[in-house]
Amino acid sequence: MSEPGPLGSAAMVRLVATREISARVRDKNFIISSVVILVLLIGTLGLQVALSSGGEETRVGVVGDVATLRPALEAQGQALDVDVEVRELDDVAAARAAIEDDEVDGVLVAESGQELELLVEQSAGGSLQAVVQGAVAQLSLSEQLQAAGLASLSVPEVTVTALDPDADQDGQRVVVAIIGIGVLYGLLILFGQFVAQGVVEEKSSRVVELLLATMKPWQLLAGKIVGLGLLGLAQIVVIAAVGVAGALAFDLVDIPGELIGTAVSVVAWFVLGYAFYAAIFAVAASLVSRQEDLGTVVMPTTLVLVVAFVIGIQAASDPGGTLATITSYVPGLSPLVMPVRQAAGEVALWEIALAVVLMLIAIALIVRLGGRVYAGALLRTSGKTKIREALRAERA
Amino acid sequence: MLEFDGLHKSFGPNHVLDGVGFSVAPGSMFGFVGSNGAGKTTTMRIAMGLVRADAGGVRWRGRPLDSEARRRIGYMPEERGLYPKMKVGEQVTYFARLHGLGAADAARASEEWVERLGLGERRGDQVEKLSLGNQQRVQLAAALVSRPEVLILDEPFSGLDPIGVDSLAEALLGQARDGVPVVFSSHQLELVERLCDSVGILARGHMVAAGTVEELRRRETGRLLRVVVPDAPPHWASALTGVRVVSEQAGDTLLELDAGTDDQAVLAAALRTGRVTHFAWQQPTLVELFREAVAAPATTVEVAA
Repeated sequence: MSEPGPLGSAAMVRLVATREISARVRDKNFIISSVVILVLLIGTLGLQVALSSGGEETRVGVVGDVATLRPALEAQGQALDVDVEVRELDDVAAARAAIEDDEVDGVLVAESGQELELLVEQSAGGSLQAVVQGAVAQLSLSEQLQAAGLASLSVPEVTVTALDPDADQDGQRVVVAIIGIGVLYGLLILFGQFVAQGVVEEKSSRVVELLLATMKPWQLLAGKIVGLGLLGLAQIVVIAAVGVAGALAFDLVDIPGELIGTAVSVVAWFVLGYAFYAAIFAVAASLVSRQEDLGTVVMPTTLVLVVAFVIGIQAASDPGGTLATITSYVPGLSPLVMPVRQAAGEVALWEIALAVVLMLIAIALIVRLGGRVYAGALLRTSGKTKIREALRAERA
Repeated sequence: MLEFDGLHKSFGPNHVLDGVGFSVAPGSMFGFVGSNGAGKTTTMRIAMGLVRADAGGVRWRGRPLDSEARRRIGYMPEERGLYPKMKVGEQVTYFARLHGLGAADAARASEEWVERLGLGERRGDQVEKLSLGNQQRVQLAAALVSRPEVLILDEPFSGLDPIGVDSLAEALLGQARDGVPVVFSSHQLELVERLCDSVGILARGHMVAAGTVEELRRRETGRLLRVVVPDAPPHWASALTGVRVVSEQAGDTLLELDAGTDDQAVLAAALRTGRVTHFAWQQPTLVELFREAVAAPATTVEVAA
């Protein structure tokens, strides 16, 4: 056996982080929450697929002059935004059989010299009658024109001028951003809670004294935040990848490039937001010694997160508004507001840079000050510690 | 040599440690006794860097303890603490790694200690599923797994059944035989007396007595004389010069003699009352030494700074 070697800070942080990860991936709550998130995500995708592919379709059987009727029916379907499937049938008996077997929705009987007839099972539902009626009218019109000696009819064409050609895409961007900050919000709360619970677990089980005999408080704090952060990052990357891949595969969006851009910015803001909130949650949790007391100390921070989320949703409908603009710079609020503004394309590069810098400064301050509170409060394993007491204890 | 040197510590107005100092030689066991709140835990926490001393310090091999040196100390805190949901084997491995062992070494050492402390079958169980006694063994394994150079154990025997006490005592004696200085605190004084090479008695933040049990005894010996004179009238010894009657019960008399008082004169006086069935210098037990030391007002009174 080799002699125990010295351990650097990095090695210490890595040890703590590894333990956090291996303890958490075996935790039932974590597994369940991960599965639930993925199921929700896939469910949402599936729902979107079902809704968008829900365009009307109708199957028309034709007895008679298929060669003329097929193009007319299909042209009419295109005009009415209905998928038309035309099938040729030999006679009326075959038509009846096809309707009874539900192979077609209706059959147009166009035998020469007879009245045109539409056979249906019970009633010509939805678009069937409109398609057939339109096609027949079109045909008869061109026949009569031909009979009157007019080869073609010149009709003035209407030019369409779109006032906001990107309206649809803007909507998609905003929806993507809302889904993004929804995921972001959920994961920040979830992993913030994990960090807080971990801190209290170490205090309530008193294992913290044994840990602090081998490492400095900041190493323990950093290891915990980094370990859980990597898990959170892995989770949000998986969610983003599945979401983007699904949306692209099922052709749910018209703006693949911007979808990916928004996903990337949400992931990046998760890193900043997580560092910010995890540090606050950890410091708050270090003030109490029992899981039962955890709720009261993390409540204010959770409320800030909720407020940020609400503002983020609001910003989606008014990304250029004063509220959205100001809050997108405020550390703590920015992770849930700025991605929305970015997605809406209403934001300059310097604005993003400013928000990021402010956030980094805030994180540095919290880690510094919070680290001292954390260090002072960790060994006070009875009751609740006040922040001022913790700071004093740290200095003592 | 593990040296605790002039430790001072106050928590607000509470003067908890007032110049505590002692040293422990490699391979020896030091028993740390004192009433509750005397400052034992604070002394140990200072050694582990968990509490900062106002003055004084702890040295190992002549150098002040730093975090690197502390990693070579096996520590058992008074408040036992383990991760409740972590498995026994993994937990011990984790602590071995925190103390600087490589992954493979840590796993091997963990396996060895878990086996040695009789927890082999519980290796894969979560700690919270174990009985308190077994949790205590895991705690000990966590302290010993990294082959520490020094052991500092706060109340390691509390909460153990007699068999647990014996096996822990055996483990600690083994460590001491391997040249590890062992410091532990305990309220079980007969245990301290049996195990320890030297003892320190802490009272009100002072080390009121320190040395081998023999030395402490000798300090008290020569002062207390037990004389049993069944036929003597009450207060038979009150009139003797240089003698104070500590207790007297049906002729069983405990006398404290001033220095220079001739014990043979006391014997002669006793014989004058009739039969003498017992006449001997009292060998105080550690319990008596402890009571004596703790009850007496602090010998060196220092003005709180």
